[in-house]
Amino acid sequence: MKKLLLVALFTYKQRVRSGTFLLLTFRLPLIIVIGSAIPIFQELGGDLPRVGYVDQTGQLSPISLIDMGEDFLKRHRELVLNAFPTADSALSAADSGQISGYLLVPPDYFEGGRLVYYSDDAPNESLLDVLRRFLRQAMLPDASPDQLALLKDPLQVTYQSLQSGDSFSEGTALVIRIVLPAAMGIIIAFTLYANANLLGQAVVEEKEQRAMEMVITSMRTWQLVAGKVLGIAMLTVTQLIVWCLAAVLAIYLVLTLSSGPSQLAVPWDTLLWAFMLGAPTYLLYAILAAGLGIIAGDKKQAQQLAGNVGIFSMFPLWLTGIIIDTPNNALAVALTLFPLTSPIFAMFRMTLTEVPVYQLFLALGIILLCLLPSTWALTRIFRASMLLYGQRMTWKEVWKALKEAV
Amino acid sequence: MKENKNEFALQADQLCKQFAETYAVDDLSFEVSRGEIFGLLGPNGAGKTTTIRMALDIIKPTAGYIHPLGGPMSEAKKARIGYLPEERGLYDEMTVFDVLLFLGQLKELDRSTATQRVELYLQKVELWENRASKIQALSRGMRQKVQFVAATMHKPELIIVDEPFSGLDPLNTRLIKDLLYHLREQGATIILSTHQMQQVEEMCERILLLNQGRRVLYGQVGDIRRQFSGNTVEVDLLGELDQLPGVEQISQHNGAYRLVLTDDVAPEQVLKALVAKPNLQVRRFEQVQTSLDEIFVHVVSSQGQAA
Repeated sequence: MKKLLLVALFTYKQRVRSGTFLLLTFRLPLIIVIGSAIPIFQELGGDLPRVGYVDQTGQLSPISLIDMGEDFLKRHRELVLNAFPTADSALSAADSGQISGYLLVPPDYFEGGRLVYYSDDAPNESLLDVLRRFLRQAMLPDASPDQLALLKDPLQVTYQSLQSGDSFSEGTALVIRIVLPAAMGIIIAFTLYANANLLGQAVVEEKEQRAMEMVITSMRTWQLVAGKVLGIAMLTVTQLIVWCLAAVLAIYLVLTLSSGPSQLAVPWDTLLWAFMLGAPTYLLYAILAAGLGIIAGDKKQAQQLAGNVGIFSMFPLWLTGIIIDTPNNALAVALTLFPLTSPIFAMFRMTLTEVPVYQLFLALGIILLCLLPSTWALTRIFRASMLLYGQRMTWKEVWKALKEAV
Repeated sequence: MKENKNEFALQADQLCKQFAETYAVDDLSFEVSRGEIFGLLGPNGAGKTTTIRMALDIIKPTAGYIHPLGGPMSEAKKARIGYLPEERGLYDEMTVFDVLLFLGQLKELDRSTATQRVELYLQKVELWENRASKIQALSRGMRQKVQFVAATMHKPELIIVDEPFSGLDPLNTRLIKDLLYHLREQGATIILSTHQMQQVEEMCERILLLNQGRRVLYGQVGDIRRQFSGNTVEVDLLGELDQLPGVEQISQHNGAYRLVLTDDVAPEQVLKALVAKPNLQVRRFEQVQTSLDEIFVHVVSSQGQAA
């Protein structure tokens, strides 16, 4: 066990500082965080422009102060809007720099006429929010702020599952409940795909760098293989931690600095199944990718061969169409039980239906059962191929290695 | 098999290894005594590396056995053996120190001892200054020294070195040789697999010459050289030598006379005859011994012709 851990730590150390890993790990989260922060910083970047409006319907109540509510940017709690009697007066004010733009409410607005906003700058989301609030307030001058808020989002539904009895009352929590499993499925798929390649390369590097003989005379073959797999798994965990932290940061930025609920309900059962099915499937992919890496003669071949395994992780993404209408159809259930697609399909189905627990346990059992023979086969192939420096093992040789071991 | 300190450092009996239709090693038996420097020789493809790999349990024999340190290979035994493979390779993107620390710990050294040994051995091979360098930044000779440290830093009882001097300059060759002598003085057994006959003649007490997987020569270096030396003597003398009884052929070689004697004449008889000649003064008289290099070429090429 000590030697296995030594190999794992060494493999981890070997790769964690490599440019490829750093790029893979930090590029995506950086894009997410910057992407979520840009609109917020744009809002924080300055005061909202002073704007005016011209009511040509004559039916809107005169409004000069807009109540922006608690959840909007704190310093824009109340905003002033200038009313102009005519379009010409508004235009003059705009020309003189008194206002930066104005909203023209046409006489046929209530019959379907379109609003026009005149300005040199396109309105951003914050300004559009101000104008929406203005129109709601101007149309219903006697409504309370709560009624106006309700008007903004009248469908605040509670979802209750008939099967499990679980209920989710907040809109965003419901979205999380639906989106999270799908997101987990996609993350698992990409993690499996990326790391299958990584492990295939790590193993072939061991062959390419010709350090194998020195290492193998100090430990058992399976310890070396398992150590490599564990080292790459540690890298994956590092990657996932970075990604999760980035996701949390992005969510924090979106929720704290813009309008949105302050708390989210985390569906722990989904996360637990994602881990319980995802982790052993990861190992299974790792073993298959390592096996193909061993068979390969160089990195390029390893990448090609490991890519063939990784393709299984992408497979469910192409088949989402078949489960949308009938998430419990026979093919969907079969792919939930098939070890290479199991966690991804399970997660996708969870977004649409209550997946029976026995199916999840059965899927887990099948994956665990597959791990034993695949580990055995991997060790045999590794042993047979480790001295074939720079050479690809033929399928005949692979078969012979397996047959001799029986 | 029960381990016994008095047994051989390596023992092979009727060892065979077959790859497809070819026997890489065929019916090979030999022993290496504890504490000796043993030469494993042979042309390319003779079966040396296959034999070593079987000794280290990297590959399994088809038949027979080869046991290191008095019994079949075991996990515990791996830490008592050091191996410098012919295939040189280390982890290119790691530093010298990290690689050695890793390999030392794999040989059962605890972290603190491994750290001390790495420091000590890197100083011995004059690479301490390069401890933080990445392997890929080292020259071929430096890499080889790093691998030598990896093979010996855990103070193994049996050290198998495959072509340890290839790619080394004379100074580094001397350095590695001295380290090997030092390890032998400390009780280690050294198996030296090489093509460099000069090193074998200098370092090894006994040798095994393999050709086409089979044992061709096996025994004390001196005995083998004597066995292959013909009835030839070399004489350095003052005066002109024309004829001598019992001498078939006289030739000049580096300023001295080389005399090929008839089978029924002993060198002592020729020396007496030379000394008895009044017009000659003998300054040097020695029996010519064939070098291992010549023996190697002779044996391997004659086997090739026979095949």
